[in-house]
Amino acid sequence: MGNDFFEITVNAIKLVVIFLMIVQAVPLLVWVERRGSAFIQNRLGPNRVGPLGLIQLLADAVKFLGKEDAPPNKAVKLLYYTAPVFALIPGAIAYCAIPLSTPISVEAFDFFGRHFGPYRFAMQGYDINIGIVFILGISSLAAYTILMAGWGSGNKYALMGALRASAQIISYELALGLSIVGVILLYGTFNLTEMIAAQSGPLAFRWGSNQYVFSFLPNWGIFFQPVGALIFFAAAFAESNRLPFDLAEGEAELVAGFHTEYGGFKMLMFFIGEYAHMMIASGLVVTFFLGGYLIPGFTVDEIKNWVGTFINNGTAVSAVVCAFHLLSYLLKLTFLMWVFIWIRWTLPRFRYDQLMDLGWKTMLPWALGNTIITAGLIYWSYQ
Amino acid sequence: MPLGGILFLAIFIGAFGTFLIYLARFTGGGLKTGRGVKFETYECGLPAEEKNDTKVSVKFYLTGILFILFDIEIIFMYPWAVTFKDFLQNGTGLYVLGAMGFFLLVFIFGLFWEIKSKALDWD
Amino acid sequence: MTADAFLFWFLAILTLGGALSVILMANPIYSALSLAFTMICLAGVFVSLNAYFIAGVQAIVYAGAVTVLFVMVLMLFDLKHEGKPFSPGVASNALKLVFLGIFSGLLIGVLMISHFFAEIDVTDKAQLPQEGSRALGVALFQRHLFSFEALGVLLLIVAVGTVSLARSKGGTHAKH
Repeated sequence: MGNDFFEITVNAIKLVVIFLMIVQAVPLLVWVERRGSAFIQNRLGPNRVGPLGLIQLLADAVKFLGKEDAPPNKAVKLLYYTAPVFALIPGAIAYCAIPLSTPISVEAFDFFGRHFGPYRFAMQGYDINIGIVFILGISSLAAYTILMAGWGSGNKYALMGALRASAQIISYELALGLSIVGVILLYGTFNLTEMIAAQSGPLAFRWGSNQYVFSFLPNWGIFFQPVGALIFFAAAFAESNRLPFDLAEGEAELVAGFHTEYGGFKMLMFFIGEYAHMMIASGLVVTFFLGGYLIPGFTVDEIKNWVGTFINNGTAVSAVVCAFHLLSYLLKLTFLMWVFIWIRWTLPRFRYDQLMDLGWKTMLPWALGNTIITAGLIYWSYQ
Repeated sequence: MPLGGILFLAIFIGAFGTFLIYLARFTGGGLKTGRGVKFETYECGLPAEEKNDTKVSVKFYLTGILFILFDIEIIFMYPWAVTFKDFLQNGTGLYVLGAMGFFLLVFIFGLFWEIKSKALDWD
Repeated sequence: MTADAFLFWFLAILTLGGALSVILMANPIYSALSLAFTMICLAGVFVSLNAYFIAGVQAIVYAGAVTVLFVMVLMLFDLKHEGKPFSPGVASNALKLVFLGIFSGLLIGVLMISHFFAEIDVTDKAQLPQEGSRALGVALFQRHLFSFEALGVLLLIVAVGTVSLARSKGGTHAKH
């Protein structure tokens, strides 16, 4: 985590802040979802508590505090209580591996007579070498929480919901994993920061010895991998168990799926887990296909030079550059989150056989074709 | 080394979640394992049926096993994907493309055999 | 004790604890969940050896796929009322003890022999390659190409076998 006390402390605080950001985003997203669904369905939505209904979130939190803790007698208490806690962990750990902005370099300084060497703080929880494989591995652990909650509740609807949800998650994990192969072929690396660096500048591709440049478009992955992007986004939807893929909690058949027996804060924790998966999916789409934190039209060095004309301090320059890129990343992320909510309230739910058919018989072959065509094109472009 | 960070975050979140659950139990009333209807499992208002083990279609197991097999094959594509450009640059691209082509051929054959044999159909 | 050593011992204790609870838990579901925990800790041990890609594969395949299937199957069988971790019976327990003794003797013997008699190449961790995944890809296509292709065929055979087993007589989806 670091070499001296200062670095370790900053890195630890960074991890906690990113986690609290995920937790804090949930009430806001719930508000956007309520108001957004009301907007789409021509209603008003919650608008009584505070301006635009914003204080509703606070009222909800107070309500959660007042909820009685009543586990069903048939529940297996240990699993019933640990499942919501475990629901938080994989999402947050995976999200911390996504780079949010350019690193901040702190120049050497003296503090109380002690010398602190130059530091470089990456704007992500930890810079892990195999970024994408790590995120896939960690987020595939989410199936355990669902199974633990479903079985631990001692309710057959919960068990059926958990079974369906885990079968769905593992089915779509295949399409998700295969659609990434095209991306890895394109960038030739697992590291997310290197992927983002490869997307800077104007759109340029080589074909044999010729180089074609489109100066009016950014060099984003979506222009190289349109089919891969579509499959990845759709599979990520299914991974986060949201409409139109929320068969796990089809309330017409299965009350509320694996969290039927949960209420109050325990329910909220499952919600945080679901939204964390949404944020991971959006963050990965931004990183792979939409240029990550890069600002279209400008490279990182250009912005650094431009900021350098106003400020002299190296630390402050890197902080300002970092803030600009963070803003760009958050704008892209917010847009994709809105797409998530938008689609949820627009499309109807699939039937279970349609869902499995879509995963295995449509998306898997398409992702396979995408991989083969990408490999072929890259091979020919090098001839 | 990211391992320390991962462990720290996991432990922190575990403590955070446990704290939330205890807080809610403290403010909202404690654990009362009583009798009443409230502590029965929820079954849409009907009296709860005793039997808990429902017979489940073999399809779920089949999906699980096929998932493992395909997952391993996809994982083996990752080292290929990450080194493909290196191989292209040192001139052995065609050899690696052919080697992977055979692997992909087996994969495609497996996938389409399963689709054709209706192993992936749900009814 | 350095931070690396501390992390290693921490992970080693977690891994061993998880593995022990796999065999000591009376409830098979807790055993399966402990197995998942052990797999995740093993992935952590791989990370501490700079084998990042292997760690990722460990998490994806073992923790995320194989053990999920175990947990799923066990939960559906509802073995909540399984009795004790060890079955009663003098003969079977004696047999277990004998095999346990043989196995642990083998393990300890191998460790002792390799420690005292064989020359072990203890590589410093700092000298391990950082770009392990790239080296793995190169090795896969140069030295181990045949095993790689054979693995693809083997997986296909397993898939065919699974499907035919699931469709055999007596199942809910049997051919009529």
